[in-house]
Amino acid sequence: MPEAVPQNAGYMIAAYIIVAVILGGYALSLYLRTRRSLRA
Amino acid sequence: MKMIRVGRWMTAIALVLLAGVYVRALVYTPVERSQGLAQKIFYLHVPAAIWAETAMVLVGLASIFYLFLKDPRLDRFAESSAEAGAVFAAVVLTTGPIWGKPIWGTWWSWDARLTLTLFLFLLYVGYLLLRGAVADPGARARYAAVLGICGMVLVPFVHLSVYMFRTLHPMPIVLKPSAPSLPPSMLATWLFSLLVFTLLYVGFVVQRYALSYLREQLEAATGGIGHA
Repeated sequence: MPEAVPQNAGYMIAAYIIVAVILGGYALSLYLRTRRSLRA
Repeated sequence: MKMIRVGRWMTAIALVLLAGVYVRALVYTPVERSQGLAQKIFYLHVPAAIWAETAMVLVGLASIFYLFLKDPRLDRFAESSAEAGAVFAAVVLTTGPIWGKPIWGTWWSWDARLTLTLFLFLLYVGYLLLRGAVADPGARARYAAVLGICGMVLVPFVHLSVYMFRTLHPMPIVLKPSAPSLPPSMLATWLFSLLVFTLLYVGFVVQRYALSYLREQLEAATGGIGHA
């Protein structure tokens, strides 16, 4: 009898959300910092 | 400033393409039978690890050339690459334990690969803290260059640690001397993700470089010390 595929989607969803937050957050921080420097 | 616009566009396109990676990985790439859906973390974890390591190598190379040539553009690039590398290292250190928990049964193990990757991240943090702590731009660039070269020396140990030590972390399945051990559909998704992470790295570095340049101009305009 074939082995069942492990049910661990929650880990994958958590990882995908965290990556989006880290990369999106850094992109936003770069945008805000350059905008502040341009205005100064 | 043209460089800021270029960097912003590259980052924006890369973030849109990252959404494409998510769709391709989740919808169009088969589920690995033994690991289940958690295996799909691979498509983000490994490209981020490659750029966390490559960014430090580039910091080290720029640092070596800076010490010889004293060109401020090299120092600016090293600083930019270090900040982007720290972000990718943070991605590696968060996705790794999330992947490890369902597969290994533990979030963390103090084995060679994981510990050296943590050390790489701490080196990035130390490098950025050092830059923030030294006021004189010339001294700051020199001290940071030395630390950047130390960071570059660490990278081969991080990558080869799975061969050198007994470790819980699996051997490379793509970046190895023989052909990648992945079905074509998984390999295509991974290569797409690697391309997107490459674009993200370039976009981040271009923007960060422009920001460093702007700050130096501001410092010079307000009577601060220029780059030595």
